[in-house]
Amino acid sequence: MNTLELSGITKRYGAMETLKGIDLSLEAGEFLVLLGASGCGKSTLLNIIAGLIEPTDGDVRIAGRSMRGVHPKNRDIAMVFQSYALYPNLTVARNIGFGLEMRKVPAAERAAAVRRAAEILQIEPLLERRPSELSGGQRQRVAIGRALVRDPKVFLFDEPLSNLDAKLRLETRTELKRLHHALKATVVYVTHDQVEAMTLATRIAVMRDGRIEQIGTPREIYDRPANLYVAGFMGSPPMNVLKGSITDDSLSWAPLDGSGRLPLPPALRDSLRPGTALTVGIRPERVGLSSTAGAAQLTMTVDVVELTGAEILAVGQVGSQPFIANLDPDAAVEPGATLPFAMDPASLRWFDADSGKALT
Amino acid sequence: MPSAWITTRAWLLMLPLLVVMVAVVSWPMAETVRLSFTDAKLVGTGGAYVGFDNYAKLLTGRPFLLALKTTTLFAVLSVALEVLAGVLAALLLDQEFRGRTLVRALMILPWALPTVVNAMLWRLIYNPEYGALNSLLLQTGLISGYRSWLGEPTSALWAIVAADVWKNFPLVALIALAALQAVPRDVKAAAIVDGAGAFARFRIVTWPYLVGPLTIAVVLRTIEAFKVFDIIWVMTRGGPANATRTLSILVYQEAFSFQRAGSGASMALLVTLIVTLFAVSYIAILRRSAAGS
Ligand SMILES: Nc1ncnc2c1ncn2[C@@H]1O[C@H](COP(=O)(O)OP(=O)(O)O)[C@@H](O)[C@H]1O
Ligand SMILES: [Mg+2]
Repeated sequence: MNTLELSGITKRYGAMETLKGIDLSLEAGEFLVLLGASGCGKSTLLNIIAGLIEPTDGDVRIAGRSMRGVHPKNRDIAMVFQSYALYPNLTVARNIGFGLEMRKVPAAERAAAVRRAAEILQIEPLLERRPSELSGGQRQRVAIGRALVRDPKVFLFDEPLSNLDAKLRLETRTELKRLHHALKATVVYVTHDQVEAMTLATRIAVMRDGRIEQIGTPREIYDRPANLYVAGFMGSPPMNVLKGSITDDSLSWAPLDGSGRLPLPPALRDSLRPGTALTVGIRPERVGLSSTAGAAQLTMTVDVVELTGAEILAVGQVGSQPFIANLDPDAAVEPGATLPFAMDPASLRWFDADSGKALT
Repeated sequence: MPSAWITTRAWLLMLPLLVVMVAVVSWPMAETVRLSFTDAKLVGTGGAYVGFDNYAKLLTGRPFLLALKTTTLFAVLSVALEVLAGVLAALLLDQEFRGRTLVRALMILPWALPTVVNAMLWRLIYNPEYGALNSLLLQTGLISGYRSWLGEPTSALWAIVAADVWKNFPLVALIALAALQAVPRDVKAAAIVDGAGAFARFRIVTWPYLVGPLTIAVVLRTIEAFKVFDIIWVMTRGGPANATRTLSILVYQEAFSFQRAGSGASMALLVTLIVTLFAVSYIAILRRSAAGS
């Protein structure tokens, strides 16, 4: 039995369709990240799971039970908000214990649960303070504590790290991962940050305009994007996409303009005709400076070289199409250079030029 | 720029205003203080120095203490009811419903009416022969015969309070509504998920955002209510049998009806002192909330 199951969820606001049919299911212990650009409907979906928003159509099931008409407090979920959403007049301890207090859990039991959560999050010294006396990071811990103490079937997080500064975000991210492992919690986590998604998720659902474009493990999403949208969304810098077509001999692919050839995978060789338009996806970090014979080869002209410390980004074009290569820091590249490069053919990703769907 | 010059310039810029204020406030004030120690009449000259006689008579005489009691009762009742009605109205208007913008605009109307117009309106409603209140209550069977709401000492003050509440609750409602709309959505949602009922949500989520603005509204309205004159003057002139004679009415009668400028001045000063105490507490609250945020 799945811990969480969504089927055919839609949400309309007047004429606007915010969610256009969402199906997904989650097993116990999974950490699902809903990833997508701002406005694609992530929060709406999370609120529908929580019961704070009624879907126009479709069904939410938690632990096999339909949630139609079930009040948020009876759904066995806990939620952490981007703005922390602490109760300003209550102490940290009461903030954390509030859900239990409302459920009439006896005071002693409640205090023990609060203490346990505070211990896990290392906020015991803060228990008697008010939210206004806490830093942003401490407030977020309290918000997480409020969810922990409830020990729910599903944890819901809506961009919980986006109000934190960069350093704190990194620490809290690691901590969330540790918590997930320790508690074997089932989590649905909303973010627009693909690095957060990659690092935290056991599975990622990439959303766009009210639909799920692809769902899979971080590895799958990163290495085998289902379409050009996902390919362009993941990675920093994202996957290069080059337009081109199949050569006359059907054995390889040539870019729109510019020189070079890439070998076509056998499956495509047989099914597609010469001249068919195809788009190839190349991860910047898969690009190597190589003269190795047999490797796939293209040539780029380099405009700008950016040294980030751990790597060099060579920014330029293949023919007239923008291209970025992520190279070893000791690669000798100069702006203005013409750079032949190569990569493992297995790392290439092929897409239908019209639909943008992946072909292999 | 040196800060001494900035300070000097600030004073220079404020100078015209200060001059006007001294002319229209401080001088009459000083004159009132002087008068309050004399037995001056409204017409005629000077009046002789009588020391604290006026004050002593006031604080031991019945009229002043009765007026103080009436004023306090009026202020407490009207402000309490205004806050209650205002907050309830704000909670309703904070809900999503069709035509909410229209209702919000309509609600402000009583407050926009001039007090005198409002008072006349309510005199019509309370009219013992053809007033709407009597017909309404008679038709619903709540009273058995027409009553003179403003003519009976037991009901006159309440009738005026009702008129005052009707006029002034929209202001409280607007202030409360603005405060309600500052309550973060997420906190409301968190309380729902935590399982808080409507009352607990009001107490834990809404109230903290409401209490500050509401305190300010209460103090401002209390100051206003303590100074109340026009609505009462139009509706009852302080009657019947002085049942609605508040401090301002008493001061007016003393100084202008009975032409006793000296003792009128001493009353006016006492009222000013009381109102000043409220004003000081208002400033203290503002300071504290400014320091808090
Ligand atoms: N109550 C509402 N009424 C109308 N439109 C809404 C409402 N709530 C959300 N939307 C719209 O739905 C879309 C998705 O919103 P949201 O789920 O908050 O996006 P995300 O969390 O992915 O940034 C947005 O275009 C937003 O404007
Ligand atoms: Mg959102």
